[in-house]
Amino acid sequence: MAIVDEVRQIISQTLKVPIEQITPDTRLDDIGAESLEIIEIVFELEEKFGISIPFNPNQASPSSGGAREPDQSEDLASQTIGEVASAVESLVDAKHAS
Amino acid sequence: MNRVVVTGIGVVSPVGCTIYDFWSAVVEARSGIGPISIIPTERLTARVAAQVLDFDPVAHFEPRQSNAMDRFAQFAVVAARSAVRDAQLAIDEELALDIATVIGTGVGGQNTQDSSYFRLYGQNAPKLHPLTIPRLMVNGAVSHVSMDLSLKGPTYSVATACASGTHAIGQAFHMLRFGQAPVAIAGGAEACVTVGTLKGWEALRVLSSDTCRPFSKTRSGLVLGEGAAMVVLETRERALARGARVYAELLGFGMSADAGDITAADPDGAARAMQAALRDARTNAEDIDYVNAHGTATTLNDRMETVALRTTFGASADRIAISSTKGVLGHSLGAAGAMELVASVLALQMQTIPPTANYEEPDPECDLDFVPNTARQGPLRKAMSSSFAFGGLNAALVLGRA
Repeated sequence: MAIVDEVRQIISQTLKVPIEQITPDTRLDDIGAESLEIIEIVFELEEKFGISIPFNPNQASPSSGGAREPDQSEDLASQTIGEVASAVESLVDAKHAS
Repeated sequence: MNRVVVTGIGVVSPVGCTIYDFWSAVVEARSGIGPISIIPTERLTARVAAQVLDFDPVAHFEPRQSNAMDRFAQFAVVAARSAVRDAQLAIDEELALDIATVIGTGVGGQNTQDSSYFRLYGQNAPKLHPLTIPRLMVNGAVSHVSMDLSLKGPTYSVATACASGTHAIGQAFHMLRFGQAPVAIAGGAEACVTVGTLKGWEALRVLSSDTCRPFSKTRSGLVLGEGAAMVVLETRERALARGARVYAELLGFGMSADAGDITAADPDGAARAMQAALRDARTNAEDIDYVNAHGTATTLNDRMETVALRTTFGASADRIAISSTKGVLGHSLGAAGAMELVASVLALQMQTIPPTANYEEPDPECDLDFVPNTARQGPLRKAMSSSFAFGGLNAALVLGRA
């Protein structure tokens, strides 16, 4: 199965949304993913592909002088499934290369 | 000071999830204790428990809701929904802002804790599921009840081990009495049948390997149970104004601490809680006709409790019908006090004294009327339900007829 389809399946199972509603162009927030659910999706992707996704919605951003960066999960929410899948794909490639 | 009544009951119990199933098993001394089937038992020495076997989360929850809940929180929500339905309580937005929710639990999300630690230490998984903390936290039950029913008033959990349910209902009762809320959902929830919890209890050497026989000379220890029981409490004024069916009136609540041993209960501490409940109810010992005892069926508890009952009730102790319903329901820790309060409420309403199930032989050290195996008809004027927790934390409730 192509990575994008595996990602669609994981998101469908986590959010309990029919897989037909999840296309590579769908954004996570279009299908109602809330912050904790995004964290669940990240967890399930890491489990499935044996990768580590650098994602912490509370991480202080150097550019904001150490202040909390509140919108990182919103950034992820605004990504399309296709974008998420290609990010996963490069992490999988990096894992195989190392 | 408001008078406070019980207008709704909801149970998720080892003997069923309707009031009818619960009450008929309690009255007929039909035990919900059986071989453990919900977890692997090969590492356990005691392989019996009072499990909730007919509970399917899919029948009650959307997957996205149940996914965030440990089993004990699922029990709590289903019992709370049943209690609200039973009370025919219409919750509009204005009332929702005032309703108090107080739920006792002894140990919280044990299923989550057990499976997470197995993953971490048994399977060496590098990380845990993101919902681990929300599922296992002790306030998971009360928070999910609040979210599910949109209850927005004073809301908190109570953790006093085996007395949690009694403390929770007592706290909610006092809130209503003193005008802090007009309506409360209160009770207890526990889902402690896990390998880790059972191994812990096994290590204390208090678990029976066959069944729970409270106050019987042949008693062999306690049997863990699980489930939830919730009541809807209302000020009597409000309940009468809306024409609600009233099951019973809560009259008094008493608490005490032993400040002694962490496990061995002290009859003096237990008696002080029962006496405080009688005082709070402005009731004399002579007016109590039934006590739903803690009665865990450990050697020490039942002996200690007999002494405490004699201290509390004096000359009346020999006349009062006393039973432990743990032979039927097992010991569901934080839910136990709530289930037993429900049994006491129904006893008053049905004017029937529930028996002590599995009773075999009198113990000279437990020489009171423990209503062995067969229920009795009333009349019942007032009843008491008491809980004496590990850690020496004691609580008792006194109730009267509607």
